[in-house]
Amino acid sequence: MVHDDYKEMIPARALSALDAAEERVLNEHLENCAECRKELEDWQATAAALSLAPDPAEPSPKVRERILSEVRKDLSKPEVVPFKSRRNIWSSFGTLGAIAAVVLFAALSIGLAVVWRQNQRLKTANQFVELVNTPGARVSELKGTDPSQTATAKLAYDRTGRAILMASKLPRVPEGKAYQLWFIVGNKPPVPGRTFVPDSAGNAVLKEEMPAEAVDANVFAITVEPESGSTAPTSPIYLRSF
Amino acid sequence: MQPEDDVKLLKAIAARDEAALAQLYDRYRVILFGLLMRILNNREEAEDVLQEVFLQVWRKAEDFDENRGRPFTWLVTLGRSRSIDRLRTLAARDRVAEAGAREAVEEISDAATDAFKSEQRGLVSKALAQLPDEQKRPIMLAYFDGLTQSEIATRLGAPLGTVKTRMRTGLMNLREQLAGKGESFGF
Repeated sequence: MVHDDYKEMIPARALSALDAAEERVLNEHLENCAECRKELEDWQATAAALSLAPDPAEPSPKVRERILSEVRKDLSKPEVVPFKSRRNIWSSFGTLGAIAAVVLFAALSIGLAVVWRQNQRLKTANQFVELVNTPGARVSELKGTDPSQTATAKLAYDRTGRAILMASKLPRVPEGKAYQLWFIVGNKPPVPGRTFVPDSAGNAVLKEEMPAEAVDANVFAITVEPESGSTAPTSPIYLRSF
Repeated sequence: MQPEDDVKLLKAIAARDEAALAQLYDRYRVILFGLLMRILNNREEAEDVLQEVFLQVWRKAEDFDENRGRPFTWLVTLGRSRSIDRLRTLAARDRVAEAGAREAVEEISDAATDAFKSEQRGLVSKALAQLPDEQKRPIMLAYFDGLTQSEIATRLGAPLGTVKTRMRTGLMNLREQLAGKGESFGF
């Protein structure tokens, strides 16, 4: 297929009218073609004009209340206490202070990066607990399969599509590859989620917004894919829910 | 509906400004809800999706890239995509909406209507009215009923190639008709 063939498909893609196979092929092309991505954005703007064609309608005031109530809940979530360094640590260093400052600044920067990552993980862990405690939330346990028998993961999700994955003991992925989460609804093709790379200890956390077609998913799986993610799994399953 | 105002609102939302989200909601709720009602034909489902869309805006506002399109396009694309997904799920559960039995919608306040009733809707209606029916139908079936090109071909009893050509030509005509009027639309 040549570039112009893809371009011809773009208006239909803006109306999400392509058949699944064509959409998959075009999506792969879009990942590598900035010109076609721009073209899609232009067609989406044209398609958006169609939204003005139906009669406008007033939703119930309860919708606004529900949205703002969710937002307030979100805002009131406890934040992790930020890392604080001691003050006046330099005062006792005398003339060596400047040199020491440079060395220590470098060390501190690395330390801060580690602490920041730990904070992020802790923050996500807090959010995981919050999510689990949300009415209607569910937790699914994923276990490693042959390529990664020791790996485990837990996925918490609610009916709005909010999901958080916490995984541990994941084998390291090859350069250019990443783990990818999949949502499986009945016998339909798996719906792709985000990609992620575990840290050196094999731990990973992933905040995910489940696509609408995946909110009814009852099976979850993780495969190894190219870093940019795949639209359909290309590797064996590394972890899956039971 | 100034796009730059919308961009400011989205930036404020990304910075966790609840009032900005409320303002964006008030600005677009009737347009979006009209669209969702047209697609889903069910008040409860449409309200659920409207809520999901704005909660998604709350969580994802920081991902919005103003170089990649206007906020209005983003919002509409988000709403439409969620409602089409919902429609397909409902269809899979054999719940077929009955065309012609559209649910009654509530009166719209004047203040809300003023934001969009003016010329923009008229321009879109006029542009659609000028499209030949054979081009308009595939577009409408795709946009509002969530049908794919193959499904449209089956529905209309037309060859797939013909449907593809008519859909593309129709959308090109629509773009031509609306060309230069983008600013007044806010997308």
